[in-house]
Amino acid sequence: MFREGPATTASPGKASLDTRYGLLGALLIAPTVLVFCAVIVYPLISAIYLGLFSIYTPTMEGEWVGMDNYRRLLASGEFWRSLLNNVIWTVGTLALQVIFGILVALMLHRNLVFRAFARSLVLFPYFLSTVVAVLVWRWLFNDLYGVLNHLLMWAGIVDMPVDWLGTMPNAMVSLILVGAWKYFPFVVIAVLARLQSIPDELYEAASIDGAGAWGRFVDVTLPQLRDVLIVVVLLRTIWDFKEFDLIYLLTGGGPIIGTQTLPLMVYKEAFALNQMGGASAVAVLMMLIMLLFMILYLSRARD
Amino acid sequence: MSAPARKSRRYLFNLFAWTVVLVIAFPLLWMLLTSIKPQSELFLIPPALLPGEITFEHYRRLLTETPFLTYLKNSAWLAGGTTLVVIVIATLGAHSLVRFSYPGRERLATLVLFTYLLPSVVLVIPLYLLMAGLGLANTLTSLIIAYTTFALPYALWLLRSFMKAIPEDLESAALVDGASRMQAFVDVILPQAMPGIISTAMFTAILAWNEYLYALVLVNSDAARPLTTGVINMLVTSFNIEWSLLMAASVMMSVPLIVVFAFLQRYLTRGFSAGAIKG
Repeated sequence: MFREGPATTASPGKASLDTRYGLLGALLIAPTVLVFCAVIVYPLISAIYLGLFSIYTPTMEGEWVGMDNYRRLLASGEFWRSLLNNVIWTVGTLALQVIFGILVALMLHRNLVFRAFARSLVLFPYFLSTVVAVLVWRWLFNDLYGVLNHLLMWAGIVDMPVDWLGTMPNAMVSLILVGAWKYFPFVVIAVLARLQSIPDELYEAASIDGAGAWGRFVDVTLPQLRDVLIVVVLLRTIWDFKEFDLIYLLTGGGPIIGTQTLPLMVYKEAFALNQMGGASAVAVLMMLIMLLFMILYLSRARD
Repeated sequence: MSAPARKSRRYLFNLFAWTVVLVIAFPLLWMLLTSIKPQSELFLIPPALLPGEITFEHYRRLLTETPFLTYLKNSAWLAGGTTLVVIVIATLGAHSLVRFSYPGRERLATLVLFTYLLPSVVLVIPLYLLMAGLGLANTLTSLIIAYTTFALPYALWLLRSFMKAIPEDLESAALVDGASRMQAFVDVILPQAMPGIISTAMFTAILAWNEYLYALVLVNSDAARPLTTGVINMLVTSFNIEWSLLMAASVMMSVPLIVVFAFLQRYLTRGFSAGAIKG
């Protein structure tokens, strides 16, 4: 766009303008890069390094132990149990989020009285602080006065109040349900946005070909949703896998370590057992597991 | 299908859909109702849906007899401070990523997205040691610094998508008219990007308002505790849990979110899923 006038070939003037612009661009991004290095890159490298030490949290004194933390972890039942819990939680809550999210999105896509208000009500849990979500659900789950137990007993589904959070497998089921309630709006909004951009002609063509409602859903809607669903599933896998707040606040990883996932194990090692080195090692292992999904997502997001 | 049949089908669908919506919203409705019921009505068996009498006693007690207002003030400072720092840096950075070319630019953009996915539990231990080393333990400043770890990548990514949507011709026209690139940025790009900047600021403020883990680890005094850890502290330190008080606190914590939520309707898709949907 600056190639007007006689000097169209790479003249010194143009080269210096490009260089100057490049420099200005670098200058504008410099604060970002500096902050990134200070609060993300340095702590990240530091976490990997700390994993090679044995550090007592209150005094922060440590000694080099090499790979001992990792050897100890991989030989411990607790690490594998936490990893298994992490997978159960992630797969369980994600499956509910996706299924429920698609259904509700289809519902909200159709004509509905006060549709905008209905959408707001459905989307709001995602906006809410996890602290608030957990407080509300703990009150709903309350064994004596919780409204959930009363409802179930009134409907004749159970005879005795259910201990939702204190026994297994109830605690895991409750976690998965609350996680699904809190995070399914993410699927709803992504699917809803995509539904609105599917051309009507596709449905008309399918109808002419004799497809019923179910046929149109399978042949038109699902293939059109495929790409957005892949990205949503990858993102939510990453986010659900690293979830700390919801699990820590709802069950604290209990009963015993029944619902303890890897992020909770990191916290426990560092601040309850005072083993910062061991905690960093858990964090690094957790990140390695997540890396696969991150790379998959990044490769999709780039194109 | 006959017209009456179609009409009754529509009616049934509406009934069904609104039942689903109300079931989803029920926990929040229950929170609101619990917060305005007299304490004695909480323990009715079976529980009554609507309060027999409405009281704002719990809100009064929350504001006068608990440190709630201190937490609220801290949360407001945190959300405001984090947003200010992050928006200034991210606006410049996003402009650079969208409108300038230099080696490593694409790699940097990918790195931003990568850090947006990093788990906080990995960074929290080194940040804890760093803050202790800098003498910032138990301060709001330490939390603002920690919050940039997730708020900056988020804001940068969201702003990048907003700024990409601004037509390139606008800046070119200003440059042809003799403006420098910084003048073009201030006079042309910034006004165009303003709705994007404002909504990004609001989304960022919400992230900071709702944050829990860093607040749990980095701050251990009521003077610097935000609402999230503060309200949980009220739960764990009380002898018998006062649910009406906690529900009142939950409502108060959510009111700013409702206001912002209403304001952001147009941008929800973008803000929810920065990176998930191409903007």
